[in-house]
Amino acid sequence: MTATDDTAAWPRETAAAAPGTKGPRAGRSALAVQVVLWATVLVFCLVPLFLVLVISFGHKIEGAGWEWALTLENYQRFFVGANWPAESTSLYLGQLYWSMRYAVVAALLAVVTALPFTYLMTRQSRRAQAVWLVFLLATLSLSEVFIVMGWDIILSNNSGLPMLFAATGLTDWLKDTGWFDVLRDWGLANPRNVKFKPSEVATVLTLSYLVWPYAVILLYPALSRLDPSLAEAARTMGARPWTVARTVILPSVRLPLIGTTLLLFVFLLGAYVAITVFADPSQHTTAVSVYEHVRGSTLNAPFGAAQSVILLVTATAFLVLGQWLTRKSPRAA
Amino acid sequence: MIRLNRRNLLKQGSAAVGLAAASSVIGTPLIAQTRTLRVGSYGGYFENSFKEHVFPAFTAATGITVESVTQPNSTDWLVTMQQATAAGSVPTDISLYARDTMIKASRLGGLIKTLDLSKIPASANLDPYFVFDAGEGPLGVGAMSWFTAMVINPTEVTEPPASWAEFWDTSKYEASLGLSKNYNAQFMDITAATFFDGEATFATEEGILAIIAKVAELKPNVALWWSAESQMEQAMKNGDVIGGQYYLDVSNLMASEGFPIKPIFPKEGNPQDYGSWCLAALSDKDAEAAEFMNFSSDPATQALMSRKIGTAPLVAKDKTDLTDDEFGFVSGTPAIKPAYEAYLDKETFMKEAWDKMVAGV
Repeated sequence: MTATDDTAAWPRETAAAAPGTKGPRAGRSALAVQVVLWATVLVFCLVPLFLVLVISFGHKIEGAGWEWALTLENYQRFFVGANWPAESTSLYLGQLYWSMRYAVVAALLAVVTALPFTYLMTRQSRRAQAVWLVFLLATLSLSEVFIVMGWDIILSNNSGLPMLFAATGLTDWLKDTGWFDVLRDWGLANPRNVKFKPSEVATVLTLSYLVWPYAVILLYPALSRLDPSLAEAARTMGARPWTVARTVILPSVRLPLIGTTLLLFVFLLGAYVAITVFADPSQHTTAVSVYEHVRGSTLNAPFGAAQSVILLVTATAFLVLGQWLTRKSPRAA
Repeated sequence: MIRLNRRNLLKQGSAAVGLAAASSVIGTPLIAQTRTLRVGSYGGYFENSFKEHVFPAFTAATGITVESVTQPNSTDWLVTMQQATAAGSVPTDISLYARDTMIKASRLGGLIKTLDLSKIPASANLDPYFVFDAGEGPLGVGAMSWFTAMVINPTEVTEPPASWAEFWDTSKYEASLGLSKNYNAQFMDITAATFFDGEATFATEEGILAIIAKVAELKPNVALWWSAESQMEQAMKNGDVIGGQYYLDVSNLMASEGFPIKPIFPKEGNPQDYGSWCLAALSDKDAEAAEFMNFSSDPATQALMSRKIGTAPLVAKDKTDLTDDEFGFVSGTPAIKPAYEAYLDKETFMKEAWDKMVAGV
């Protein structure tokens, strides 16, 4: 859908640019640029994607590798498992559910928290804004592995929050009041101390943290262009700050908000390290399963590819839905 | 002496294009006279120990220079080598493969070369089990062996378990153990040896499901299902878990550095796996590779690896000069032999059944 939009936009942009430039030479070079762009897209995006699609129809040979074939067994396995029809399993559908759930929740959390932060940031002096932006850009150089390692230490028994719980006597207090047994039932404690991993909260927090700088950087342009006089006018007419935020600021940045959420969502679908470290195996995602099948000892690339294709289709469906929401609401508003 | 900076390299490179095209190794004309061999081993401490202790000894003995190649592990590396072989140029001559990966490589075909044992006389020192032959000649010569051991945190677990069965006791180990998440990390072999008939139980799908159902009973005691080695290392150091399964050599190293970890040989024993040197099908270093495998099969080299890397020797202890203490550090009894054939022939079934159990669906 986005692709067709882009192609539709191309001629218009070149047409708009043409009067400013001169003659057929500019036209030829524009054409050359187009050719190069399309060739790049073809070689680096479409060919690998096509390969994944073709491999997903391959056949797995037990005890060895796989061979080219044209079978739907990998797709069937995704929905009912390898032992169908003797038995069926929702293992892989469950993983897809967790992929979507983590990506949606973590993206929303990041955007919802980044929005007020970015808004307040744009009200600072130019200099302060620059410092913040440089700082946030710098944090992007930290890889997922580093960030997960940091959070791992923060949540570890001898070095992080649990140690703080034990040292401050909070653990003993929990034990005395009986709350400790409740935490044990929830899987948030072992007989010795509280524990925060594996847990969904830790996973979502880490994922959100991972994409938070992107959220700020993506929201910044829209929020910094926001005319302060609009909010001031609303305030002079007696609107309370919350009403101003709800009726003036939010509607004017609605599109960038949805766009940012969708982008972070796509980015988070591929998260691997954070999931393997912080999520319980019952809450592992399709991305983890793809990796295990492609790189793991079974060498089952066809099933890994089939899972990737299904993940891609599901993600596209979510994006189309997001686009549809974006299109639909301006008329409503 | 030629200064090797980028500019020089480019100049030399353009001058030597013809030569480079022939040898396909840019930048090596200077040492073209020396015999070289590329040898893969698992990265980190393991590879460093090889570079520091084993390869220099080999070079001193044979004059062949070794270029060390980092392998992430056994199975990932097979994928890399598979793709590299298809592309026509491999990153190493000799790879280090665990037995299941080696069998898989032999079944895939066209990845590893048959070896001439007459050029590797020292391989007679090894138990025939460690010289792998899929029926068309030897494909791998045993390099070293390693155990996956029961480990505990001795400050938290004051009474070392005498049997693996004690890990199933929730009153002692609730949410406290670290086990591997991979279906073929040999916890099934441990369970089979503890509660069933060992390798024989793997013969039927019912047997395998029974083993997995027994592991499912252990789930309330598992705090960490680790997929990377470093996760378990951190969890033991951080006190997130107080026991589980981990590699004997790394455990002993951690213990000698003062971390609270103690490997144990319970009465059922620990699973023993081993790595083999395999020659890439595209390599033309047959002679050098034979010399390296011959050197590695020598009891003195086996003892050197046990001392410096912490792996168990593949030759009988009395052929080496290892002391009882040194041998106890790297090996132990009894050893549980993994059900390799079942892991290969029923891999899809076993992986999915195991994954379902771990995920609880």
